[in-house]
Amino acid sequence: MSPVIVEPVKRNASAVILAGGKSSRMGRPKALLQFDNEPLIVHIVRALKSMFAEAVVVAAPEQELPPLPALLVRDEVAYQGPVGGIYYGLKAARGEFGFVTSCDVAFTNLSLISYLTSQIADYDVVVPYWQERFQPLHAVYRRSVLPLLKEQLERGELRPIFLYDKVRTRKIGEDEIRRLDPEGLSFFNMNTPEDYEEALKRWERMRSSLTCTVELFGAARLLAKTREVSLALPQEATLSHVFAALAERVPVLVGRVINSDGGSLFSGYTCNINGLDFVRSPSARICSGDKIFILSADAGG
Amino acid sequence: MYGFHGRLLHIDLSTRQSSWRELEEARLRAFLGGIGLGTSLLYEFAPPGVDPFAPANPLIFTSAPLVGTGLTTTAKFAVVTKSPLTGFIADSLSSSHFALELKRLGLDALVITGQAASTVYIYINDQEVEIRAAEPLRGKSPCETEALIRSELNSPAVCVAAIGKAGENRVRFATISNEGRHAGRGGVGAVMGSKNLKAIAVCGGRETQVADSKGIEAIADSLRQRSLGSLTDKYRKIGTVANLAVFNRLGTLPTRNFQQSTFDHAEALSGESLTEHNFSRRHGCASCTIRCERLFKALNGAEQRLEYETLFALGPLCGIKDPEVVLQAAQLCDLYGLDTISTGGTLSWAMECSEKGLLPEAQDLRFGEPNALLAAIPLIARREGLGALLAEGSKRAAVEIGGASLYWAMHVKGLELPGYEPRSLKTMALGLAVSPRGACHNRSGAYEADFSGEVDRLRADAGRGALVAASEDFAAVLDSLIVCKFLRKCFTDFYGEGAELLSKVTGWDCSSDELRRIGERIHNLKKLFNMREGWRSADDWLPERLLSETLPTGVAQGTGLTSNELREMLQGYYQARGWDQNGLVPEKKLRELGLTLDRVQVVQNVPIVQAG
Ligand code: SF4
Repeated sequence: MSPVIVEPVKRNASAVILAGGKSSRMGRPKALLQFDNEPLIVHIVRALKSMFAEAVVVAAPEQELPPLPALLVRDEVAYQGPVGGIYYGLKAARGEFGFVTSCDVAFTNLSLISYLTSQIADYDVVVPYWQERFQPLHAVYRRSVLPLLKEQLERGELRPIFLYDKVRTRKIGEDEIRRLDPEGLSFFNMNTPEDYEEALKRWERMRSSLTCTVELFGAARLLAKTREVSLALPQEATLSHVFAALAERVPVLVGRVINSDGGSLFSGYTCNINGLDFVRSPSARICSGDKIFILSADAGG
Repeated sequence: MYGFHGRLLHIDLSTRQSSWRELEEARLRAFLGGIGLGTSLLYEFAPPGVDPFAPANPLIFTSAPLVGTGLTTTAKFAVVTKSPLTGFIADSLSSSHFALELKRLGLDALVITGQAASTVYIYINDQEVEIRAAEPLRGKSPCETEALIRSELNSPAVCVAAIGKAGENRVRFATISNEGRHAGRGGVGAVMGSKNLKAIAVCGGRETQVADSKGIEAIADSLRQRSLGSLTDKYRKIGTVANLAVFNRLGTLPTRNFQQSTFDHAEALSGESLTEHNFSRRHGCASCTIRCERLFKALNGAEQRLEYETLFALGPLCGIKDPEVVLQAAQLCDLYGLDTISTGGTLSWAMECSEKGLLPEAQDLRFGEPNALLAAIPLIARREGLGALLAEGSKRAAVEIGGASLYWAMHVKGLELPGYEPRSLKTMALGLAVSPRGACHNRSGAYEADFSGEVDRLRADAGRGALVAASEDFAAVLDSLIVCKFLRKCFTDFYGEGAELLSKVTGWDCSSDELRRIGERIHNLKKLFNMREGWRSADDWLPERLLSETLPTGVAQGTGLTSNELREMLQGYYQARGWDQNGLVPEKKLRELGLTLDRVQVVQNVPIVQAG
């Protein structure tokens, strides 16, 4: 998923994956859904292990899980909601802080996670705010908040956001998120069989395709609030596929940079492939790994 | 006469006399206004071989037929003189209410010769010319000067063009400033300073008559609409500073005195990042709907105008990565009235000399060293210490220091290179080599071919000659009508629409072919002026570094430009121009362009010409 980054392992940080939530609407355990030919929980742990010194999986008391390269802890009391999971996970973690996520998120965006953890230095909590809601299960918590979480549990305050007023909380706004995850795929939770289907389809599209990176410049970058977007496209893709996929990923460009037909650029914009060829023709073929610059048709001046 | 006033005003500062003179319609039709008219007047008024700082060197301000018509982006004027930096033509444009007021004086050109005995400013109030003492204005910035003159004359309607300390001290790349904008390149401000002329204040009341005002209104409406479309998004949404990130990615961003064409810190300096962190205000020249100017907030609270060339020259070219430092350096250049490109170009030359041990007196002046850069700019303006050397520009300074420093002086004909790496923009490389005013990105847009995919920008071939010639002629028309070059893409058929517009303004029945011919004529006359002033084939050439080193980084890594490739492109260009293989304009060409021979003075077998 986009964009691929090589990040050093964060030594003083743990990944905490909450696996014990209810799966009632899905009708079967979410952690065990097959994804990328493996149970989802394995998929997530593997991804996060590439970045964090350890992974802690918090499961319900009786929950069945496949073998995992992670420290497994069980909720002491079942279904105490996210606050319980965060509390038990952080308590078991050895890092100074933990990135907490749930086991129903298929699209792990390491760039965004890396950015979130980079923000913790002067804070106790770093939490994204996406589509007008805090995302407590995609957030970073310092272990020093444990006593407060414990108090919350004791009082029965099961919503994490009660914590945010009490500690130094860094709210990550939508603009910041979009730079690394324009569509907010990180917050795509699979709650129903339909969500699962949709995720599988997306995943399939991403795999059976070529990938290219669109680099945005000038007015296009300002509008999109992101510098780069990685796209998965069908084999044999042309520039018009690039424009269409980009239009879907960054809708704000439609009607301003990308024509509303979705397959071509406005006259004020042009494309350059790999820094070498200026191309406007939508039928130009794209190769995997291509860097496609979208810039003003009036370069220079 | 429609569109023009048919008159010029000549002021001789030595005798303090002024006189009005008729400008024949035939001449205006042959050269239009702006740069074209300015070139023809330069040819006439400048004595051959004149020293640029001599009283006899004319400083010419011209207006143009579209000025005052309300057409978007046309509130411009030209300043033409013999450049103290190159010894050839200096033709600069600028844009402000000064342009509108200049034309409202009822003239098409203002020619200033002579030298005042002490610092003065000229005040032209409609028909009356006053030469007023300006000793107290000495040392004032152009902005302060404008305000002080307005208050002295007690007239807010007065528009002022002024020089700063750099112009007073004849820094060879000083500008003439008006409303914060500059006639920037080639040292026109130094020529003004050499005349002891601090400022020109104008206040007129004469409207220009046009032949078909309804017709013009319709075209103006349409152009206004087009000027607000996608084609000008870049200028409206971000400004020319947008070039920096793109140029870096394309390997065309001159860095550390052209040692590289990418800059590691380009993102921090990019227009996008500046817009996000420092944006203060959008602004535009008078009568402009595009409004490409951006003012950014500096830490000291001041607002600073910044466009790509300034950003490149005071940033990557000098290895400076902090936008704050660039903003401060740009502030200083504006304060003293310095051309930012030549300032950056000369400083980056000095930085390289210093790093390589050739300027022991300037050890701190190193690439990426903010304090040394900021300290050097006032020294240049005051011609103090090292500033006395740098005020001469990189070409003369390198001759003075000698040795390897000559190799590091990045100029063509003495004018420092703008922010376009010639090795990865081959058409532009040729454009820079042949440009009459020296390395220039305005009097032709040769880079357009490179950025369009029309040619392979990394390879050279003789075919570029025709592209460069066409681009120069196009620019000559644009600069003589005058229309801002940022509007150029909004025309679908520039010559056709331009001819129609010109016909409606002047009442002439002008065809697109005639307009094309005018562009070619103007360009040829610039060349003829240079030939008269001693142009040699060797002047159409690029700095040796560009012909010896390949680019070490970025997408154009490994790309170079050989002397043979440049020679091949030059031959293609001379051929496309109908010049001989040494680049001289043959008589046949003069006849073709309707240039009649007059006051014959033969230099290199080319007669002096005047328009017919
Ligand atoms: S586009 Fe920019 S430079 Fe051109 S007239 Fe408008 S504000 Fe001035």
